Parts: sequence; C-alpha cells; structure tokens
Amino acid sequence: MTAVVERRAAPAQATLRTLAWVEARRYARHPVFLLGAGLLVWSSVAISDDLDATFPDFKVAVGFLVGVFGVLVGYQLTRSLSRSTDAVTAAPADGVLRTAALCLACLVPGALGLAWVGWLYATAVLTSTPDSAIGTGDRIAILLAGAVATVGGPLVGVMVGRWTRFPGAGLVAAVLLVLWTGFSSSALEQRASHLTDLARLQAPFAFWTSSGDAHATNWVAGGSPWWHLAYVVLLCGLAATAAMVHEATGGRRTRLWRVLAVLGVLALGCLALAVAGDPTRVPL
Amino acid sequence: MTAALTVSLTGVTKRYRGTPALDSVDLSFGAGITGLLGPNGAGKTTFLRIVATVLAPDAGDVRLLGRVPETADRLAEVRRRLGYLPQEMGFPRGFTAFGFVDYMAVLKEWTAHAARHAEVRRVLDLVDLGNVTTKRISALSGGQRRRVALAQALLGEPDLLLLDEPTTGVDPEQRVTLRQVLSRAGERSTVLLSTHQTEDVAALCDRVVVLDAGRVRFDGPVTDLVATAAGRVWLADAPHPAARASWRTGTGRHRNVGEAAPPGAEPAEPTLEDAYLLLLGDRARTTAVAA
Repeated sequence: MTAVVERRAAPAQATLRTLAWVEARRYARHPVFLLGAGLLVWSSVAISDDLDATFPDFKVAVGFLVGVFGVLVGYQLTRSLSRSTDAVTAAPADGVLRTAALCLACLVPGALGLAWVGWLYATAVLTSTPDSAIGTGDRIAILLAGAVATVGGPLVGVMVGRWTRFPGAGLVAAVLLVLWTGFSSSALEQRASHLTDLARLQAPFAFWTSSGDAHATNWVAGGSPWWHLAYVVLLCGLAATAAMVHEATGGRRTRLWRVLAVLGVLALGCLALAVAGDPTRVPL
Repeated sequence: MTAALTVSLTGVTKRYRGTPALDSVDLSFGAGITGLLGPNGAGKTTFLRIVATVLAPDAGDVRLLGRVPETADRLAEVRRRLGYLPQEMGFPRGFTAFGFVDYMAVLKEWTAHAARHAEVRRVLDLVDLGNVTTKRISALSGGQRRRVALAQALLGEPDLLLLDEPTTGVDPEQRVTLRQVLSRAGERSTVLLSTHQTEDVAALCDRVVVLDAGRVRFDGPVTDLVATAAGRVWLADAPHPAARASWRTGTGRHRNVGEAAPPGAEPAEPTLEDAYLLLLGDRARTTAVAA
C-alpha cells in the first residue's frame, strides 16, 4: 500500500494560488467560454474587413461573446459545487478564499478580451483606418473598457452564484445586463446633454459613437473614456467584493462591507468625472 | 498527535423550526470507531454535521481536537484534521474521479502538485478506484460514486473521520474492502460512523451510540447492547403476535424478537440488529420495514 504523504498546512496565499489555477483551468475548458471564444474568432474575420472610424465600439463583440457569456460561466462554476456543499464547507479553505479563487479565474476571459482588443487596435492601425475625432488615448480607453467587460461579466456571474439559489439565475443576470446596456445605449439617440451622458455611461458597457445608416454623419459622444474605464474597473471590484461578502463572517464581513462602501463611493466619483466633460458630440 | 478525547459535546441542542433534531446531547469520543445508529430523523446526520463544523448548534458546547471551533482560525485548524463524508453528496458535472478528489485536496490545502497527486492516487487506491480515476463521475455506478466521496474524506489520514452512511449502494465485496480501510483508520483516528447497517457496526465498532428523537438512547460497547437481547430472540415455526419484530428466515423458520417465547421456539443467538430493534421498539421496526 502507498504510504500517506507527509505535509504541513499551506499558507492561505499558496492555497489561493493553487485553487485559482485550478478554477482558471475549469474556466478555460468550460463549453460556454469555448463557444464564445469560437464565435469571437469567427466574427473577427468579418470585423477586420469592416473597420472604420467607429472601430473602438466594435468591442461589443468581445463584450458580448466573452463578457455576457461569461456571466453564465462564472455563475455555473460558482454553483457547480453546490451539491457537495457539506464536504466543501468542512474543508479548511473557506468560502471567501474559494470565491477569491473564482474571481481570479475570471482573468482567463480577461486575457482573451485584452488580446482581442489588442488585435483590433493593431489591425485598425495596420489597415490605416482614418484618423478621427477620437484621439489615440481615448480609443485605447474605449477598447480597454471592452477588455474589462470580459472580466466584469464573469464576476457578475460569480456574485449572482453566491447570492442567489434559484435555477437559471445566471441566465437572468445575463439578460438583465444586456437589457441594461441596451437601455443605456439608447441615450445616444437623445439630444446631447450631461443627463444623456449619465444615462449612457452609468452602464458597465457603453457605446461612444453613432453608427449605421441612421445618422448622416458619424459622431463621437461626450464624456471621458478614461474615467469611464476607471468606473467599470471599480464595478468589477464591487462585484468581486460583493461575492466575497456573502461568504465572510464576523470581522472579515464587516471589513468587506467597508471595502464595498469605499469602492462604491469611488465608482460614483469616477462616473461623475466621466460625465463632467463637454457633452457636445463631435463629428468623426 | 491525537488527543485522548477528540470530540466532546455538552448539552448540544439543534432545532429545525422548533422541532428538536438534537436535544441536550452529551457525548465524547476518543480514538477508535464508534457506530451511530438510530431511525430516520433520529438526529444522526445533524450530529455529524455539527461535529464536521458545517452546522452550528443552537445551544451547548462543542470541543473538537482540543479546540473550540468558534473563530475562523480555530475552525481552519480543526478542519485541517477532519475528514467528512456527508450523507448526500452530489458531484459537479464534468469531473473525473481523480479531478474531483484532486479539487477537494486543494481545498484541504494540498498545494504541492506532486504530493497532492500522490495522495489523491493513494486514497483512490484505498477505496479500490485506482482503475477508474480518469472516468467521469457521471459514468460511475452509485457504489463507485460513494467510494469517490469516501476517498475525499480519507485525504491526509484525518485525526477525526466522520462518515455518514458510507456503505450505501456499495456491493458486499467492496463493503469488506471498506471495512478494512476503516478499521485501519480507527487504529489511529477517531471515526464516527453513522449507518443503518447494523452489521457494519457489529463488524467494525468498539462502541455504539443509539440516537432516537434527538436523544441518546444507548451509549456503550457493542457487546453490551447485544447482551441486552440475550434470551429475547427465538426461532419458531410461526410469527409470534407479541414479538417486537418477526420475519421468515431462509430456513423457513420465523425469527421472533421479543420478550415472550413462542410455543415450540428455540432460543437464537442475538445480533446487534435484534438488540437495536428491542431498544427502539416500534419506531425501529417501522424503520426496518421501510428500509
């Protein structure tokens, strides 16, 4: 018979690292993630032939196929051990650590999202997409917000997985996220003002340009892409912290609530700064 | 090192919507295997869940492995030395037997890759699943799944091993294998074994605790419980109306468990099951018939 392997209790960081790696591999092999990634590659062919001055908003492809699909993946990974709850609870790695590992695993779609927006930017530069009213820095911020959405969607899935128990909650969250984005983007159809910028930019995924045949001239909406980027990064932090709060007890729960409050205030500040700029729409 | 008294519960009470699942239970356990018997709803699973730190009691004191598991640090210290097989255990979709036990090993802080994999292989071999490690759990039989669940509880040779119906759905040959595994575990650890299989308790345990309606009805050596049935088990040609339990055996004779000897009956050697039926009376009989 094989002898039992001697070992000492590992530090929490080592357990987190190992568990995050295991969860990352589970994420990377999840069928919904692979489906989204496959569709993204397929859609990229069409996108590369159709780049124009509005190309930063093409991030919607990665935001939907990796970010929104990621809500389902994050939710399923979080709930997957619900039938083994007692055995999992009796293990020394507690719920906060397990949730933190799941949140770190959301960097897998984030890496894909970052790689994709990098490819989009490089392709736009290489194909000499015409200069426009959107400066290089703002283009990068808008694209990076697309990459952040690929982390944010899965984090929302993890959060919903921790806080809800009814079947299909992940799907409901994904649909609500799409409706929220759709509703906020309809502000582009309204007259330019701080209020319409607020209605558009409070969503975790925002469009910045007019597109399609509805407008005689394409234009870029007002607001600061960089502050909006900071806002969506903070929303990701809020989702991750909210997921961990559910598992925390005692003093740690109190501390996490405080972190949540601070992140919330910072997010509101960033949103205010994103909206504070000139709301005038500039032709591209 | 295992403390002399690994588990100590004093006045432990747990209620579900006002109904007591455990009612002021005082029990303590040291090294060795203790069987927990009792009808459905007796409080065995609630008892094990409290000892496994999964469930907090409404009242009473719990001391495990020399610690009161109240703070996060103390809980983690206890859980590092604890193995728990829950009564009902589902598995995440897509996992292989190896993958699931490996995942549980990570949760049990096995971070070194090679050592963890060696330990996972060891416990899967112990439960005789070494040949199906790469099979998806969904493709395994019920008995094999139960053994996967047991394997995760055995990780790291825990000082306190809590098993809630480990042999459910396991075939007789595998039950013997599992008995060997558990008897070895009982040599160094405290093993609490909740089961409806009295023969497992008779074969493995030095001590038996019988719970009924959240209270301890019997606590002592298995032989003492069996002795309570001496002279109260009979083999007769017909069932006796006054018997607590009566059934036709394979030989065609009826085994009557009760106070009165049927006419023409001959005394039979009592078993733990007989003693259990006599102890719990009608409640146990209802459960036995239902089972």
